[in-house]
Amino acid sequence: MTSPAKSPNLERDLAQLLGRDRVLCTRDALLAWECDGFTVHKSRPRAVVLPESTAEVQAVIKLLHSANVPFVPRGAGTCLSGGPTASGNAVIIDCARMRKVIKISTEDLFAVVQPGVVNLNLTTEVTPYGLHYAPDPSSQSVCTIGGNLAENSGGPHCFKYGMTTDHVLAATIVLPDGEVVHLGSTTGPRTPHGIDVLGLFCGSEGTFGIATEITVRLCRNQQEVRTMLASFDSMSAACRSVGKIISAGLVPAALEILDQATIRAVEASIYRAGYPENAAAVLLVELDGPHEVVVEDAAEIATIFVAHDALKVEEATDPKERKRLWKGRKGAFGAMGRIDTDLYVLDGVVPRTKLEEALEKITEIGQRHRVNLTNVFHAGDGNLHPNISFDGRDKEATARTIAAGHEILQLCMDLGGSITGEHGIGTEKLDHVSMMFEPEDLEVMARVRAVFNPDDLCNPGKVLPQRNACAEVSKWPQMVAKVLDVEDTPQEPESTS
Amino acid sequence: MNRFDDIATWLRSSPGRVRVSGSGSRAHTLPKITDATPLHLSQYNRIERLDAGDQTCTVECGVPRAELDAALAEHELELPCLGGGTIGGLFATDPFGPAAAGCPGPRNLLLGMEALLASGSAFKSGARVVKSVAGFDVHKLFVGSTGRLFVATKLHLRLKPRPRTEQWFANRALERDQALQLIHALRQEAQPPTVLQLRRERDGSFAVGGRVTGRSVHVTSICKQHELAACERPASFHVAAAANSSEEVLNGNALPSALPSLLSALPEGAPFTWLGGGRFEAAMPHSQATDAALQQLPQANVTGTVLIGTDARRGVGTPMDPGEQRLAEGLKHALDPDGTLV
Repeated sequence: MTSPAKSPNLERDLAQLLGRDRVLCTRDALLAWECDGFTVHKSRPRAVVLPESTAEVQAVIKLLHSANVPFVPRGAGTCLSGGPTASGNAVIIDCARMRKVIKISTEDLFAVVQPGVVNLNLTTEVTPYGLHYAPDPSSQSVCTIGGNLAENSGGPHCFKYGMTTDHVLAATIVLPDGEVVHLGSTTGPRTPHGIDVLGLFCGSEGTFGIATEITVRLCRNQQEVRTMLASFDSMSAACRSVGKIISAGLVPAALEILDQATIRAVEASIYRAGYPENAAAVLLVELDGPHEVVVEDAAEIATIFVAHDALKVEEATDPKERKRLWKGRKGAFGAMGRIDTDLYVLDGVVPRTKLEEALEKITEIGQRHRVNLTNVFHAGDGNLHPNISFDGRDKEATARTIAAGHEILQLCMDLGGSITGEHGIGTEKLDHVSMMFEPEDLEVMARVRAVFNPDDLCNPGKVLPQRNACAEVSKWPQMVAKVLDVEDTPQEPESTS
Repeated sequence: MNRFDDIATWLRSSPGRVRVSGSGSRAHTLPKITDATPLHLSQYNRIERLDAGDQTCTVECGVPRAELDAALAEHELELPCLGGGTIGGLFATDPFGPAAAGCPGPRNLLLGMEALLASGSAFKSGARVVKSVAGFDVHKLFVGSTGRLFVATKLHLRLKPRPRTEQWFANRALERDQALQLIHALRQEAQPPTVLQLRRERDGSFAVGGRVTGRSVHVTSICKQHELAACERPASFHVAAAANSSEEVLNGNALPSALPSLLSALPEGAPFTWLGGGRFEAAMPHSQATDAALQQLPQANVTGTVLIGTDARRGVGTPMDPGEQRLAEGLKHALDPDGTLV
């Protein structure tokens, strides 16, 4: 790959393509792009470009490809695994200005959008038609559809409605050599005689190319939505309630748990939702459907809560009250800012039947590593979010944080789960991939990636560890210090602005 | 073969061209290849794991659909997609896609897999749990691949609870517009049928059928409101079998709004089915009729391909995006460079 010294006119050439105001090169201007939500890994890009159309993305990629310069697609940067963080001298292609909703079909229930459209804005746009876009990551008020596609994002309502991959019908992609291809169609992600290339692309963490137009499925709003909040005096009781709800064959739209430490952080923050601070856990359940169905489901769930000694049960059908109950859950990550300067959000998955056991062991791991650990998670999916609050300026604390995270992910694997349910591998979990996959599995994935990205210019160094890295994983704890000591010191590029 | 090691060893022995088969129920949709050795997986048929609490299972690819259904029913669970034969064959051919808009099809139910490359090298993709985004979703490539990319041996599947109540229905002998109106009305429901099918029979009449599920209060309400006629579960969701040798079956995807245009593009009276997830099949009287229809489909935003016909005709269809085609060919080459799997 080319260093800045070998492509000295790159910034000028990029500015010729997009105009100077859409090519950022100065040290100060690049500061906001040096990491995503995973603040442990920071690396300043060589430049950031802000295209507004498929043609501009294609022109930029062709230029970078011909100059052998790596590039990184980016949405809002809310990813929590370092996926859109530039490594080395990569140029970030930021799609935030590609925010047009191109088409809405109320008859066939789809929308065509540019990748920079904010998730929640799409739902706002289609609300007048009685529709919504179902995947709702906690960052939905800022994260983009393009980023969601790259990461196959989830969210609380994925329990019932599925992940992003279940809602993407088609995409226009600019491949890493600049070729524009169209995957899927409004009629479906796969033609009956073809293979599911779009399904493979979704969740490839920006390593296969950049989606510049995305067709997503829209859902009809339900006749009634009811939110229930039950508080418990133990986490076990909350988890057992979830198990009972699922085994009873009920399918709520969402099943979310917050532990006591999270409740207290939320209640002390601007996201205060009136959660009972004496509770060991609260369980948030959302039901949707025809009125008569929701009424019966709510009654059955209330019975389950009583049987599990719930301290208190609240129910809301009024949108304002429902919003209040959700406010604490949606703001939980933001509220963690009250605990410490940095937050490491893990997202390992365990079988739903192992939730109780997993949480007990996670607590034990947290205590052993002396980290400040809280839990807020998608209980219905078994998708945990152990959050470790720490001071990123304190290297020793950071090392303990990462070491605890490593053990938690190993625990998820030991319980038959996954190292990541929705955040992706990025750079964060490169050292953990071998917990889940053998070298033969990774070799197949590398072959597949090479079909899209043969020169490895598109988001290099993500998802798949370097070939010799797997062997190093057994000495992972010793690598913590090494990870912390890696500081990118990119060369200051020439300024075009 | 009924042991993983035997399959791997056999593949490593360079057996020449190989065609993977399950029960053979969809063999008539594949091109005839005389020099390929069949790899029968119907004996590789164990339900390895059924975790009722997590609503997931792991099955060997040769497990018959009916056997899995019976095992799931004991736990009040189901695999909520249409299709029979073996589980491997169902996912490899994906004959129906989703049975209704917003309902899962095979691509939404496949959580992960264990597989062998044509070279006999084992690999896995995805996970056993309901949610995982670790690594690239290579297992997604299995759906609809007809076993031409790799040999999937075990599939990890997402299951759903069996509905408290279900009612199959079929409103028959409808005029075209009546049928389309009923389809439209049912799609407007907040909780629409989980299987929805439009049929045109050989006598030219239309029928709308499907399955309404949920609490009994909901099922009763929908059936009453739309005057749905109760019936047994249909034996088949495919278009009526071709009666003469010159008949071809065209299949493809069509949006609900394209149904009038699609029906206009097909010969009057040609048997036809469309599922709410978008997949259609039409029995075409002869190849000229198929070609005439294929010319009109792109304007209607409909894709179509000859599914059943002579070897020369199978696969003829509306053009695919050349970029997607090239990527599909690249993936075939990357995973099976010698073209062993046919």
